[in-house]
Amino acid sequence: MSSSKLPIARALKWPALASVAVLGLSGCTVANSDDGGAAAADTVRVVLSQEPPTLEACESNLTSTGVVVRSNVTEPLIERNPTTGGLEPKLATEWKATSDTEWTLKLREGVTFQDGTPFNAEAAAFTIDRAVNSKLGCNVEGYVFGDDELAVKAVDATTLTVTTAEPDPILPLRLSFLEVVPTSTSTTEKVRQPVGTGPYKIDSWDAGQKITLSSWDGYWGDKPAYAKAEYQWRSESSVRAAMVTSGEADVAMGLSPDDNIGDLGVDYPNNETVALRMDANEAPLNDIRIRQAVNFAIDKEGIVNSLYQGKHQVAAQLVPEGIVGHNSSLSGWPFDLEKAKSLVAEAKADGVDTSKQISLVVRSAQFPKITELAQVLQEQLSQAGLNVKLKMLETSQHLTYQVRPFAEDEGAVALMTQHGNQAGDAAFTVDQYMLSTGAQSYFGTPEFDAMIKKADAASGEDRKKAFEEIFAYQNDKVVQFAHISHQTGILGLAKSLTYKPNSSSGDELRISEMTPAN
Amino acid sequence: MLIYLRKRIVSSALPLVVVIVGVFALARMTGNPASLYLPLNATQQMRDDFTARNGLDQPLLVQMADYFGGVLRLDFGQSLRTGQDAAAMALRAFPATLQLAATTMVLAVLLALVVGCWAALKPNGVADRISSFISMAAASIPDFWLAIVGIWVFAITLGWLPTSGVSGASAWVLPIATLLLRPFGVLVQIVRGSMVSALSEPYIKLARSRGAGDLRVVTHHALRNAAAPALTVAGDLTVGLVNGAVVVETIFGWPGIGKLMIDSILQRDFAVLQAAVLLTAVAIFALNILIDMGYALLDARVRPVTVKA
Amino acid sequence: MTTSMTDSAAVPQPDAQQPPTKNTAAGKGGNPGLFRLLLKDRFAAASALVLVAVGLTALVGPALMGDLATKQNLLFANKAPFTMAHGWEYFLGSDSLGRSMLARLVVASRTTLSVALPAVAVALVIGSLWGVWAGYHRGWRENVSMRIADVIMSFPSLLLAVVVLYVFSPSAANIVLILALTRIPIYLRTGRAESAELQSRTFVDAARTFGAKPNAIIVRHVIPVVLPTLLTLATLEFCYVMLAESSLSFLGIGIQPPDVSWGLMVSQGRQYLQTAWWLSIFPGVAIVVTTIAANVLAAWLRIATDPAQRWRLALPRKRLIVRIPAKEAQP
Repeated sequence: MSSSKLPIARALKWPALASVAVLGLSGCTVANSDDGGAAAADTVRVVLSQEPPTLEACESNLTSTGVVVRSNVTEPLIERNPTTGGLEPKLATEWKATSDTEWTLKLREGVTFQDGTPFNAEAAAFTIDRAVNSKLGCNVEGYVFGDDELAVKAVDATTLTVTTAEPDPILPLRLSFLEVVPTSTSTTEKVRQPVGTGPYKIDSWDAGQKITLSSWDGYWGDKPAYAKAEYQWRSESSVRAAMVTSGEADVAMGLSPDDNIGDLGVDYPNNETVALRMDANEAPLNDIRIRQAVNFAIDKEGIVNSLYQGKHQVAAQLVPEGIVGHNSSLSGWPFDLEKAKSLVAEAKADGVDTSKQISLVVRSAQFPKITELAQVLQEQLSQAGLNVKLKMLETSQHLTYQVRPFAEDEGAVALMTQHGNQAGDAAFTVDQYMLSTGAQSYFGTPEFDAMIKKADAASGEDRKKAFEEIFAYQNDKVVQFAHISHQTGILGLAKSLTYKPNSSSGDELRISEMTPAN
Repeated sequence: MLIYLRKRIVSSALPLVVVIVGVFALARMTGNPASLYLPLNATQQMRDDFTARNGLDQPLLVQMADYFGGVLRLDFGQSLRTGQDAAAMALRAFPATLQLAATTMVLAVLLALVVGCWAALKPNGVADRISSFISMAAASIPDFWLAIVGIWVFAITLGWLPTSGVSGASAWVLPIATLLLRPFGVLVQIVRGSMVSALSEPYIKLARSRGAGDLRVVTHHALRNAAAPALTVAGDLTVGLVNGAVVVETIFGWPGIGKLMIDSILQRDFAVLQAAVLLTAVAIFALNILIDMGYALLDARVRPVTVKA
Repeated sequence: MTTSMTDSAAVPQPDAQQPPTKNTAAGKGGNPGLFRLLLKDRFAAASALVLVAVGLTALVGPALMGDLATKQNLLFANKAPFTMAHGWEYFLGSDSLGRSMLARLVVASRTTLSVALPAVAVALVIGSLWGVWAGYHRGWRENVSMRIADVIMSFPSLLLAVVVLYVFSPSAANIVLILALTRIPIYLRTGRAESAELQSRTFVDAARTFGAKPNAIIVRHVIPVVLPTLLTLATLEFCYVMLAESSLSFLGIGIQPPDVSWGLMVSQGRQYLQTAWWLSIFPGVAIVVTTIAANVLAAWLRIATDPAQRWRLALPRKRLIVRIPAKEAQP
């Protein structure tokens, strides 16, 4: 403290040096990306909820990947119309079953990949082989095809045959999940930026910041209205909504009813259904009356109206309308607290230990207002006389309860599940959720399993009927599920743009269906 | 000084290894990532394949030996999530956080010096009361809340700033303002505290008696006393920012290391987590050495190399 | 973070001749005076009142309002505050499930305090003792301790939080564990720096020459001097810990419903910012008010227990030349 001659110079030297260094630094790198504030009119700016982990075509059944890649960069052989549920030609123009286990596809001519190579049966066969029969461990393989290998053969340039081990009436539907890539694609590694036949090709990917697509001149179909698409991502839904409101983005995915997006919000059924899945291997849920009581105790109307502003629909089964096998004659369990209480009392009188704890297992932030919903359910089940403990878990931990092998020693579990059937056929739901060995099923019965196996092998009207019966049977005799609601998604859409979202918009956002307003 | 520096760097090597070993072991306590990366209906066979492919079926010690072997060859492993090189991902994200943290701290220090000195001139005076109220409030507002309110007010209602992102200088304003508040609030109180006591020292009274004005007394005489503690604290706050910008990065879509870290923790992306922790740990160690050296320069009292008097 | 030297300047360094214990003696001996002094300072008095109120609320509130806080009414969600139309319970409005905001705030105060206080206390005790010990002995003990502090500081606390959530169940006690562990280095570094400086002072040397054991010297001579700085730091940390807890909630790895804390309420309420502002503003205000009160009181206490600065409190409100009232100036 003695010398007080030059302290100020010294004291200020550090901050001054630091600020020079910082200003120097900040001049480069991050801040350097071009001004995104006012984008050109020929660009669609989309804001997603997360950065795609990869754009690999064989992982495009992952929502965050598919929303960018599918039908924009790459295309499937066959595509499912999300509104009608019917299959439509894309890179294949026609297909038919040529035997019990063999399907023959005719391919579109005159299509080229973005790298200039032609699309032909060889490329189609390569795509199927790569995704389904290789060691890559593609997500789509497990999701759509399971363990079964497929035998593919390019008969000639435009003809392809696919042979399955077992008869598979919905093979064309399964094929609609495969995005076609050229034979130059690596078979030993996954490819982060694929080449496809779609209307857009990948321009650039600034990791952590944005992905840019630009329209491709050699596209076989109609030229899309927008020349470029730019994807960014923000994890807070209120920020995504704000970006549309403030004109920084044209399309915002996955908004919540409370984001106050106003008339820029567009509702669409997103095919997701919320339900409680109950473990009948543990008391007290091992008594069907308790599982019925759970169904009666939940005020689904109240939840839908209060938490979701009436936009969701009360659910009576795991799949919404539009999915093959949806049973429209079913209606949701009525809310009847007295009935629930008396069922619990009845079970108790028969010696069921109704005071045993039921863990209500919920994944935090899985969908808007899930925390609120979980607390409502806990309260309502407690009202019915059950002892419910709420467990909010993060994704990875929740998965140990959600899929086999299930976490052990947890007592009775009621797990909140959000199920989205992207495929459009109830088999994708029932096989997983209702077979006694299903990956996401706690239990089943031999008769029920037989019904499901029969439905899986059926086709046409029989198939539809068979699955409808399955949903009715689950509600009458099995009661593994307490269905809550079919959800409605909200998409933020700028005034400058016209787009009509459909049930698959969350998985496959087609830029080519967007046009400038007026 | 150079000897000291060398000694510090050498003695930091072991703690760095400890950090990585700790992260390695703890991360693996959070469960097998297989179900996160495989479809929900994956068979046991697929799970086993995944586990084996990523070496997660090996005993922990073997995994660790493999990892450190790789690190010696500068191979930090691959991301489970993106398939990219883990070190490259961490290195790409780090500058974004560093710039944010450094800019924030420089501003916070400068602002705090000004406000803190102003408050200290008249302890318990109006300026003091106001500034301490503001700084305390600033330091106690939840940052995510402030960020969202900031977006609402400045981006939506007023339309002055972009909501988020990294494009253009204006996008820096909200993240920095959000990050700034806590360091600013803490530093104001520190500068004020040390200024108050510095200003009551005899030599200041002497200077005043010679007719030096407030400004001159503060800038020429007392500031040095305030600078040392402020710098130390500022250094520690910077460490906190490097590690703690997660929330701000998450909300504003800032492609920094905090966001990378929380994502890789939640996604059990072990290699990326380890690379990110290693990188920040190196930065924090370096920063700590700088703090200690800067402090030694400014304040001879605790110079680390001096032997006991 | 480390206020290490922070207040070392603000807190008076006793002269070598002055036995440091004088400090505490002054504090104890002057208790009645302290209370009178408190009443004189309106801000400090108000702060003390706020803290007492918060403490009482946390203590008895949950017993009174626990049921009210979980009583849902979906038809009565998000009712605006500041009206008695729905009864006093809903004076602060209702939340997204129609629960009384007032009751939720009251119940949350207990969780909040029972996370923040133990976390701060544990970190303070462990970190300070360790730091003082390391700084007193210097040498390898100091080096090893400081490197351990480096390790903890560069360890991602988020990972710890996830590990704890995964391995144990999400409970307030576990959050305390994480926060306490990650904040230890702050006290460790500060305690180390202060005690390293003190151990070379004459009065410590004197004690040493008289043959006092190191631990005895630390307890009798070093800790009393370092304590005010560390306590000031602890009040700043109190605020930090409450915020850290709410950040963990924001990231989804903190306190989990059905438990409720102020931080969790702010975090959950943020999605309603534009439709029901009170859901996140009220708990936010509760955090801010509590921490400001703690800080004001701590700042006041620091001066009031310090004989060299105590006169400031007795000053008339207008700035004036120093005039020390005789009785207040007596240590």
